[in-house]
Amino acid sequence: MSSNLSGAVERAAVVEAQDDLDAINQLYRERRWSDGLPVVPPTAERVNRMLKHTRRARHEIVARVAPGFGAATIERIAINAVLAGCDSEYLPVLIAATEAVADPKFNLQGIQATTNSVGVWVIINGPIAQRLQVNATFNCLGEGAWANATIGRALRLILRNVGGGLPGDMDRATHGQPGKYTFCCAENEEENPWEPLHVERGFDRGASTVTVMGAEGTMNMNSHSKDAGELLQVFGDTMIHPPSNEYTHGGEPFVIIGPEHAHILKRDGLSKLDVKRGLWETSKMRADRMSPKDRERAQDSRRDELGDFGPDTILTIARRPEEIGIIVAGGPGTHSVYVPSFGNTRSVTVEIAE
Amino acid sequence: MAAVTICSTAFILLGRAQASALGNASLPIAIVPHPFGLRSRDEVRQIAVKCVDDIIKLVSEAKKG
Repeated sequence: MSSNLSGAVERAAVVEAQDDLDAINQLYRERRWSDGLPVVPPTAERVNRMLKHTRRARHEIVARVAPGFGAATIERIAINAVLAGCDSEYLPVLIAATEAVADPKFNLQGIQATTNSVGVWVIINGPIAQRLQVNATFNCLGEGAWANATIGRALRLILRNVGGGLPGDMDRATHGQPGKYTFCCAENEEENPWEPLHVERGFDRGASTVTVMGAEGTMNMNSHSKDAGELLQVFGDTMIHPPSNEYTHGGEPFVIIGPEHAHILKRDGLSKLDVKRGLWETSKMRADRMSPKDRERAQDSRRDELGDFGPDTILTIARRPEEIGIIVAGGPGTHSVYVPSFGNTRSVTVEIAE
Repeated sequence: MAAVTICSTAFILLGRAQASALGNASLPIAIVPHPFGLRSRDEVRQIAVKCVDDIIKLVSEAKKG
């Protein structure tokens, strides 16, 4: 069998289909080219329209996508963007997101092929977020915003159709999660009292970036406290959960701090790094909260960091406080969200070329 | 050099598909039952002994090929 790692030009196949939406969707259903929702037919005309929003060559390979290592060409990214219902202007975001998931430190191989529920959360920063109307406020992780819905969906379709991550085949997820349909928002930079994620990571404030994070799901945290110390305690208590990949491996958990909580933390004098340090402390967990079997796994994974440990060893959620991710997003309300990571992964931020 | 991958039954499809994707569709794969979690040490030992036999067979076949 020939390998798809050869240097040959990778062109998308052209399939003749009946000019009928139902028939085309039936074809996509039979061939498992969809995520289970109806698709927008990627006609040559629609794909060409999408391709006008990049200067990169149609057949240029942006990345090889694990676990099948299919070639994510600009054209294939555009096709999946059309399928998902993206506006043409979204293409540069998806090119950057594809590049990001292929970064070795993201561990796409593990994320795509694991039994874990992990999905890919897409965070958009910078001026492009407003221009594309990516929702960063009310219900930013929920339905209703075209960009959030279709950008997250398109990346999932790339992971399936180019990467081969089909459930039950190479995607071995025991349950998966709703975020595997789509999982995308922008940071609410206007309401962020600290530096936004992309600036924290060394990009100019005026740059636009996409960050991908291997997320196990979301856990809402509703607290009416108006005190920074109490909020850090509440958040840390929520983040502690013994059967967690984060405590097993030392992960990179994220917290989406709602604007109201962020302003309380800032008012009480905390920098973003102070918040990370606080969460690192309040989320510490005794090793005997884990079952003995799970503790063995953690021991094997973290021996280099913690040495041999016993039941009373204190486990941290991340190896260093700086590895706790923070963004500010959402609308008014007393809520923040804990986003546990897959553990063996690190988020990746890539600048969006416009 | 001959190489053999060991896979539990739940991951065979992934192993085969990935071997093909990487251009080595004939990669020998030794198979063990899934899952291990509820098995006794004796059962796991028996599985390991059987697996060693399979590995030897697969390596011998690969060498001949």
